[in-house]
Amino acid sequence: MAVTQTVDQSALKVNQTGIVATVLVAVLGSQAVPWLIWLIPLLAIVLLAGTFAPQLALFKQLYFKVLKPRGIVKPRLMADRPEPHNFAQGLGGVFLAISSLLVFGPLLAGDFRPGPGLVLGFAIALLVAVLAFVNLAFGYCLGCQIYFQLGKRGLIRA
Amino acid sequence: MSAQLWAVAAVGAIVLAAACVEAARSQIARRRAIGASAAPAREPYILYFTGDSCTVCRTHQEPALAKLGPVRVDRVDAIEDRTLADQFHVYTLPTTVVMSAEGRALHVNYGYAPATKLERQLADARIATVSVPATA
Repeated sequence: MAVTQTVDQSALKVNQTGIVATVLVAVLGSQAVPWLIWLIPLLAIVLLAGTFAPQLALFKQLYFKVLKPRGIVKPRLMADRPEPHNFAQGLGGVFLAISSLLVFGPLLAGDFRPGPGLVLGFAIALLVAVLAFVNLAFGYCLGCQIYFQLGKRGLIRA
Repeated sequence: MSAQLWAVAAVGAIVLAAACVEAARSQIARRRAIGASAAPAREPYILYFTGDSCTVCRTHQEPALAKLGPVRVDRVDAIEDRTLADQFHVYTLPTTVVMSAEGRALHVNYGYAPATKLERQLADARIATVSVPATA
């Protein structure tokens, strides 16, 4: 089947850069500035909202409204389908939502001691950043591979 | 040690473990796929497994295949031609298989394979084709 749609790869790269930067600032920066931890649930919301409503995808909008018009980042259109990338982004959002529950669950319950849930929550957020970085640097998209595997098993139309 | 540092250490361990699992998985798949057969041809050729959802196929693999020069590349949609994909244990895209002229899989690459690697494998396939004794 020939791909007739195009995807701006630069928009994807800006999105991945935004994810990596936000998670690193949230996880590592929260050691010094505790409120930065709130960036994790915020990023989860941004990714999940952007999956279902592209106009709410913050980093992509930053690219389309600011970086591209000003020539800061040049567009790179390529024959591609947006669905696998949206799926990968949604998967990242789901994992960040789980991470947020693990990080904020004990805090909301009044337990301020660092426990295994906090470590696991941070670890999941960092894994999302690692996978976004792998996609950014090497073009390997794990979410797209999962999309391919689901399509191969007939669970989704891939 | 703080929760953040524990998390960094945990992620490092997970990434390392995932790399080991991936290496073992591709090794096993490659061992099963080597020797699998497809249609014979006049010259060694490449079976290129791809799909609509594969971005790296378009950004990396196809430019690498274009650099190879006059080599037959059979493009296979891994979703549409599932039987052939399963025969070569295609678990990731792109997958490139260097076939001998007799239609036997000699080299299987899971993931992006650069042009230099494919050229080396094709040269190896040409030698293998020449060294096969002619049958009456």
